[in-house]
Amino acid sequence: MRHMPIPGHGRIWRALPLLCAGLLLLLPGTAPAAHRGPSTAPAAHQEPSAAPATHRAPATPSAPDLAIQFEALLGQHSVLAADLMRSRIRGDDDFVQSANAALGKNTTAMTTLIGQLFGKPTADKFGPMWSQHIVELFAYAGALAAHDAEALDDARAELVEYEQELGDFFADASKGRLPRSAARAAVVQHVGHLTEQADAYAAKDYPTADSLYRMGYRHTYDLGLTLANALLPTGDADTLKQPLWRLRSQLGKLLAEHAALVEDLTRAAVTRSPDFAASGQMINGNTRDLAAAVDSLFGPAAARQFQALWGDHVEQLVAYATATAGGDQAKQAQAKAALAGIETRTAAFLNGATGRRMSSAELEAALQQHDLMLLKHADAYAAKDYATAHDVAYDTYQEMFDLARTMADAFGATVAARLPKGGAQTGYGGMAAVVEQR
Amino acid sequence: MPSYARGPVLAALVLILLAVLAGGPPAAVSAPALSAPVAKVPSPEQQGTFRSARTYDTVAEPVRLRIPALDVDSKVQRLGLQRDGSIAVPARTDVAGWYENGPRPGQPGPAVILGHVDSHTGPGIFIDLYRAKAGTTVRVDRADGSVATFKITRIARVPKVRFPTDLVYAPTLDPTLRLVTCGGSFDRARGSYRDNVIAFASPA
Repeated sequence: MRHMPIPGHGRIWRALPLLCAGLLLLLPGTAPAAHRGPSTAPAAHQEPSAAPATHRAPATPSAPDLAIQFEALLGQHSVLAADLMRSRIRGDDDFVQSANAALGKNTTAMTTLIGQLFGKPTADKFGPMWSQHIVELFAYAGALAAHDAEALDDARAELVEYEQELGDFFADASKGRLPRSAARAAVVQHVGHLTEQADAYAAKDYPTADSLYRMGYRHTYDLGLTLANALLPTGDADTLKQPLWRLRSQLGKLLAEHAALVEDLTRAAVTRSPDFAASGQMINGNTRDLAAAVDSLFGPAAARQFQALWGDHVEQLVAYATATAGGDQAKQAQAKAALAGIETRTAAFLNGATGRRMSSAELEAALQQHDLMLLKHADAYAAKDYATAHDVAYDTYQEMFDLARTMADAFGATVAARLPKGGAQTGYGGMAAVVEQR
Repeated sequence: MPSYARGPVLAALVLILLAVLAGGPPAAVSAPALSAPVAKVPSPEQQGTFRSARTYDTVAEPVRLRIPALDVDSKVQRLGLQRDGSIAVPARTDVAGWYENGPRPGQPGPAVILGHVDSHTGPGIFIDLYRAKAGTTVRVDRADGSVATFKITRIARVPKVRFPTDLVYAPTLDPTLRLVTCGGSFDRARGSYRDNVIAFASPA
């Protein structure tokens, strides 16, 4: 049960993140990623160093471009926040790095984007408020881990306050286009997904936790579109409703989620965590959704072919992580070799499906890069190099989101080329006297 | 937590965080009883048993269209393309047709169902489509016995020469439905209506 907030009651707790942030900056070598040098600038603004030319982001992003990046960052926030809470519940020794990733890069990148999209005053208010809600989520997970009912109630009460404040902030920023009640409801739902998945995770009900994890990701990703529609000028909001932009956003959601879920599964494999089986079901859900998307674009036969290739890809990544955990170099090499073959076959499949709109060579390079990053993530995790693991995870998510845009454009063009031409001749004139009067 | 207790707790939390960041073990790690739940850890063999989903269940094809508010209850036939690249139309004016090269109703993407507004002598199945209001329910029965239900969100009348192909057919992953028929003035020289009436519908 949630406590009603008492006016002024949460101020001292709200000071916690600010105090911590201030103290963090005083500690040598512990500054959050966002405050480090250019080498750790938010990934959303980086050109992937080894990325093939097929999926470079536009040099000067338009407002709709920034808006779909905002969606991706919000989705990533949901994943990072849930991972942070789970890490805290498990008592992992890498939870500080998780916190750094969640609190640093993602929030800074979102704040920067909000500044570009909606203006600096909005960004200046957003950043601290967003950080505060993450700290409260962290406190909630800590209370769950410690079985501290009183602390849990406190965290809930704080979260209720932040839900209302964040909702009101978004409603005010929209200047009436986003009703206060709708804004609050959206934030309440976001926080609810995160706290409920943490509750289930702490109770070792991993299937429920993972169902909420995916639900939370999708809701928070889509919240980006709701906010963009409410806060952007009408022309830009209309652009986001166009089919090509919808497809870019929707494929980005599925493919970026794939990266996050593979990493969750290989993390569970490397650490031999009890949530491994449920995590496997979670990525299977994502693979089915991707196959359904392929079905919509290219038909059921293509969907089955894609699902088989994609399923092989995930299985080999898990096989590599399992071999890494067991120190089995032969099996590692075997998985790597299998992945190389899958990259070639998947590239050929996509090249064919898109009528050669996507080059096989470039696709293969992009898929190889994706696999290399995921292998590096598993290696880093197994070596307990958590900072690298989280950096790679962050970049892999962004990399897949960028690749999704290229795919969406090629898929959209392929389908557009074969759509019916003109209108439909669905009348013979027998009722023209009536129809013409309408 | 009472307010008097929060100051010390806050200070303690900050100290813990500082200790962690300075390289010390986090409290959660040093006190297992407060952190990691005790659970049976699967063996490495069990860890390696992940299998990707290999079955893909397609959404079944539409077989019947029902719009109670418009007294529409019809079989659904498949439609492809004509030689000139335009969409084929139902063979009978009292039967609806589904564009089979696009999504099936209820799967991600825009499914398109056509119906005639009239025949040479009388009304067709979509004679009253223009009267549909936002909120009108559309049900599509599928071959496997399942039903996809939609609500009409808006009706538009557009000249055929400026048919919004993008908005009707172009791929997104939103599981929508479009109903299309004819409307506007009748071009007697060409024997066809000049406009199309389009109902846009979303999942109910």
